[in-house]
Amino acid sequence: MRTLMPHAKSESKMDKKDQLFVINEMCEMRNCSKCIYLEAKKKQDLYMWLSNVPRGPSAKFLVENLHTMSELKMTGNCLKGSRPLLSFDQEFDKEAHWSLIKELLIQTFSTPNHHPKSQPFFDHVYTFSIADNRIWFRNYQILEEDGSLAEIGPRFVLNPIRIFEGSFGGPTLFQNPHYVSPNDLRHLMRKRGAQKYMSRIQAKKSLEMRRGQPSYETDPTDDVFVTIRPEDAEEDS
Amino acid sequence: MDLDESFSSESSVDSDEELQEAFAAGKLRPGLNLELPASSKTINNTAGLNQTLLTIKKNLPWLERLDVTSKPATTHKDLISQSETDVHDDFKRELRFYCQAQATVLEVIPRLHSMSIPTKRPEDFFAQMAKSDDHMKRVREKLVEKQTAIERSEKAKKLRELRKYGKKVQIEVIQKRQKEKKEMLDAVKKYRKGQKDKLDFLENLPGEKKNSQNKKSADNLRPNKKREFKNKKFGFGGQKKRSKMNTKSSALDMSEFNPNINQKKPGKTGKGKPKPGNKNKRPGKARRQKAKSRKK
Repeated sequence: MRTLMPHAKSESKMDKKDQLFVINEMCEMRNCSKCIYLEAKKKQDLYMWLSNVPRGPSAKFLVENLHTMSELKMTGNCLKGSRPLLSFDQEFDKEAHWSLIKELLIQTFSTPNHHPKSQPFFDHVYTFSIADNRIWFRNYQILEEDGSLAEIGPRFVLNPIRIFEGSFGGPTLFQNPHYVSPNDLRHLMRKRGAQKYMSRIQAKKSLEMRRGQPSYETDPTDDVFVTIRPEDAEEDS
Repeated sequence: MDLDESFSSESSVDSDEELQEAFAAGKLRPGLNLELPASSKTINNTAGLNQTLLTIKKNLPWLERLDVTSKPATTHKDLISQSETDVHDDFKRELRFYCQAQATVLEVIPRLHSMSIPTKRPEDFFAQMAKSDDHMKRVREKLVEKQTAIERSEKAKKLRELRKYGKKVQIEVIQKRQKEKKEMLDAVKKYRKGQKDKLDFLENLPGEKKNSQNKKSADNLRPNKKREFKNKKFGFGGQKKRSKMNTKSSALDMSEFNPNINQKKPGKTGKGKPKPGNKNKRPGKARRQKAKSRKK
C-alpha cells in the first residue's frame, strides 16, 4: 500500500506491549497528522486503525478478504505516486458514522496536490463502497478516459468496529452492532462442529427409545419352511 | 410481553411432567435456548459524530481532496439493481464497484480538463510504476497461459464433436451398403426361383460400369483356368512342408462328424429302428438241442 501513497512515512515495527498512545507521540515526532496502524493478531486477524492524530477521532476496522497487489490476476498498473481519485458510494452520506469515516478516509488516502513525491497525472481510482455493512476497497487503473478500467489491487474489506473520539482511545462514539469478532466466529464454528456429533448421538438414543417392544413373542425359526412356489415367485416378479 | 405470552401458551401445551421427561431423555438442553444479543452493546452517538466531523473538516479546495460521491454508471443498471440484495454474488458485486469507479472517472476527468490540468500521461513520460516490469511480465504470461488453455480446451471439444459426427456418418454408410447388398441378394433369389424374368436389377447397380471395366482387365491378367486348378491342387508359392500336418483348427474341425452315424453303437447299422422280423435270429436253446440230437 505504501507504494501507492507517496505522502506516507513509515515507522519501524512497534512492540506489542506498548500502549497505543505511543503511536500519537511517534506521529508527532514525524510531523504527521493522520495515521494508519495495522495490527495483526494471532497471525490470522488483521485490524486497521485510522486515526486523526493529535485529537482524534479514530476508527478501528477489521480487515477481511485481503488480496495484495502482487496477485497475478490483477492486470492493471499505474504510476508510482500518482494521485488517486477517491470514489465513494452514496451510502456514505446517509448516516453519521459513515460520513465521519468518509472524511477520515479522504484525509488519509488522498495525496496532497503538488506533493514532491507525487506525479502530476491521474491514472487510478480508489473505490470505497458500502455493502453488507462493510466498506469494500478497490483500486482501478484508468485505461482510457472514456471509462474503461483495469483493476490494480489491492482489494480488501473494512468491517468497522468502533469509532473513538480521541486518537487511539477516548469515549466511544459508535459501535457497530453487526460486528462479530473473528474469535467469536471461530468459536461458533467449532461449537457447531461439536454439536453435530452430540446431536447425532442424541438422535441414535431417541430412535432406540422410540422403537416399540414386540407385542407377541414369536419364534424366528417358525417361518423358515414357509416358502413360495416357483410359479408364484415368477408371477410376482 | 410477546415473549411472556408465548411462554405461557407453551407451558399450557406442555405439562411439567412432559417437560421433565423430555429433559430426562436429553431432548431439552440449556444450550439450545437462543441467547439474545445484548441490546446495550450498540452505541451510536450521532450528535457526537456530527460534532467531531465538523471539527476535523478542513476547508480545502476540491483539488486537494479529489473525492467524489457517485452513483454507479448507468450502463448496467438492471444488473446493479439486483446486486444490491446479494453481496455474495462475486460477479455482480464487482460489477457494481466497477460501475461506480467508471462513473467517477466519467465525472472527474471532464472537471479536471475544465481546470486545465493534465490527466493523461504523455507517451514519452517514463516513471517508476507501482508494479515492476517483472511483475507485469508475469501477469501477462499468466493471461496468455489462461487464454491458450481456453483455446486448447475449445479445440479439443470441437475435435470430439467432429469425431462423433464422423462416426455417425460411417455407420450410416455401412448400413446403406448392407441394405443395398441385401436388396441385391433378394433380387437374385427371386430371379433364381423364377419370380422375376429380367436381370435389370443388375444394371441399376451403382458403380456397375466401373466394375465391369475393371473385371475385363483383371480377367486378362489372371492365368488360365487349367493353370489355376493345378495351382490349387499342387500348390503354388509359399511353404509346402507341414502343409498336411494337423493344426489346431483342423483338429477341432467337426464338420465331417455326423453324430447319427459315428455315435451309434457298433452293429446297429443304418437309420431308424431295427425291423421286427429278423431272419438270422438265433433259435431258442431247446430248439437248438433238439436239432442237435436229430443230426446225431
